[in-house]
Amino acid sequence: MSVTLWLLALVPVAALIRFVGIPDDTPHQTKPFLRQIFDGLCYTILRFLHLAFAVNKSFQSWVQMTLLQNEADVHDLLLSDRPALVEERMELEIFLLSLPQRPEHFAVVLPDGHTDDIVDDVEALCAWSGMAKIPRLTVYTRDGRLKDSADAIEARLRKSKIISRAYDNKPPSIILDLGTHHAKRHITSPGNHPLHVSLWSREDGFPALVELSRSLAKQVSTGTLSAKSIDETMVASLLKDPFGFAHPELLLLYDDLLCIPEFPPWQLQNTEVYQIGQGSVKSLGDAVVRALGSYAKIEKRWGK
Amino acid sequence: MPLQKHCRKLCSQASNIFRKFLVHILQQGPIPKHVAFIMDGNRRFARKSHQVTTSGHVAGFHKLANVLEWCNDLGIKHVSVFAFAINNFNRSEEEVSALMHLAKDKLKELADNSELVRYHGARIRIVGNKALLPSEVRQVMDYAEKTTQDNKGMTLNVCFPYSSTDEMTSAIRALIDDAESGKLQESEISEGTLESRLQIPGPDLDILVRTSGQIRFSNFMLWQSSKMAYIQFIDVYWPEFSLFHMLSIMISWQCAYLAIEKKKQTVAECTRPCMLSASVSDDETCCSEREAA
Repeated sequence: MSVTLWLLALVPVAALIRFVGIPDDTPHQTKPFLRQIFDGLCYTILRFLHLAFAVNKSFQSWVQMTLLQNEADVHDLLLSDRPALVEERMELEIFLLSLPQRPEHFAVVLPDGHTDDIVDDVEALCAWSGMAKIPRLTVYTRDGRLKDSADAIEARLRKSKIISRAYDNKPPSIILDLGTHHAKRHITSPGNHPLHVSLWSREDGFPALVELSRSLAKQVSTGTLSAKSIDETMVASLLKDPFGFAHPELLLLYDDLLCIPEFPPWQLQNTEVYQIGQGSVKSLGDAVVRALGSYAKIEKRWGK
Repeated sequence: MPLQKHCRKLCSQASNIFRKFLVHILQQGPIPKHVAFIMDGNRRFARKSHQVTTSGHVAGFHKLANVLEWCNDLGIKHVSVFAFAINNFNRSEEEVSALMHLAKDKLKELADNSELVRYHGARIRIVGNKALLPSEVRQVMDYAEKTTQDNKGMTLNVCFPYSSTDEMTSAIRALIDDAESGKLQESEISEGTLESRLQIPGPDLDILVRTSGQIRFSNFMLWQSSKMAYIQFIDVYWPEFSLFHMLSIMISWQCAYLAIEKKKQTVAECTRPCMLSASVSDDETCCSEREAA
């Protein structure tokens, strides 16, 4: 009975699809009618599968969000004197300091269109780096909005209370790097713990490799360099981290889409990637804590 | 006994038909052109099954054969697999030697006897720094490449031994050699000309799959993955990777397909002049100007 009902439901739907048309390379005229009905049925099943997948994904995001303890905003966490928040901050500090391993260089990819809060996000990420005792931070947006907002970011970092609180009221010495062709900017308090921050965009990846190639080609053509001496060690030394750190050990991809939006490829060689969508977490800080928690459990084998 | 045999044959045929039906359903949606696999977890699979490491790698090869069959059925034209990393030479001599023997035997088997090559016309390409390999392995690789070079079916890029940084360095060196020999003007050095000299230049990577639950690239196809490839880290050892996992990945990618294409279009509009431009300063203003527009 139920099989009959299913057939009664699916056959007219498939026929409807056949007459409405499905985008297909093969012209309809060359396909037999029954084949078109069958393809229509398969298309319907596929759309149901897509719907089921999307529903499952949304449900998982909702579960992830609602099962979390209520993560306060980093400003409230660091600046508020309410006992509940002070206790939460202490627990978080103990958790972060007790992690068996932490990245020395932490990179965060912010999604396209994430415009309004970009200065807030950089400030918050610096504060989180302070709490987790991470000396090196890279923030990346594909389109260069970070570099365009460099002055605003510098001004904010200069007088940031949350960063100061994250470093136990001893504001760090922040060195801001805007990538190739830009001088570094030094912000406040030399002598205190340094925090090295890079604001990267697409130009620090593929175009940088092209520029390197041009520069090496020029040296070879003028005879100052032999083409045979160009090897991986040389290229690695020319693409080394501007502050002398290792390339990013942990990359937080803060986007719903599981795609790397043209982050500098050379720098990804040994990077752990943690992806979490904005719909699955209450805040960027939440995503940072989860990424660090995930990194703490990984085993590095270096090919062995 | 004959009844059992018939039942087994019937089950096998039924599962083949069911598999083809599932594949046909998926083919009603978009199909990726290029999929890459980091086949991780063979040794841990062997330990879990209380077997020696080599048997894990053998199981991994059999799984590869299955996966290639599924990719071929789905109509995926290019498949890249990370068979051996350059820094895998750091493993014990015994294991490296066993892997070399396995590569030699299985590549020859793939080139000579596999259905994929004989009936479906698959083409085998060996990608990587072959100079690091023993001569007998290099010979088999050259044989596999030569005997399949005219095939028009699926292209299989076997990365052995490979690292992405080595690939990018080789591309830079090739570019410089061409500039030195006059084949290329210095002003023509661009992203496009550099990309065309990679060992796996294209088509664009659509999906990158890594098994065993590790969430890193391990120096595999970094250039290609960074260009908006859809990444899937699957928490299952490579020999346990099933058709169900493959189909789930495909459905997941199909659901994200429009969003990825939209992002790629924005990127392509922004970077097309940059790919051809002769100066980096053009690149700086290119993306932000277009975004503002």
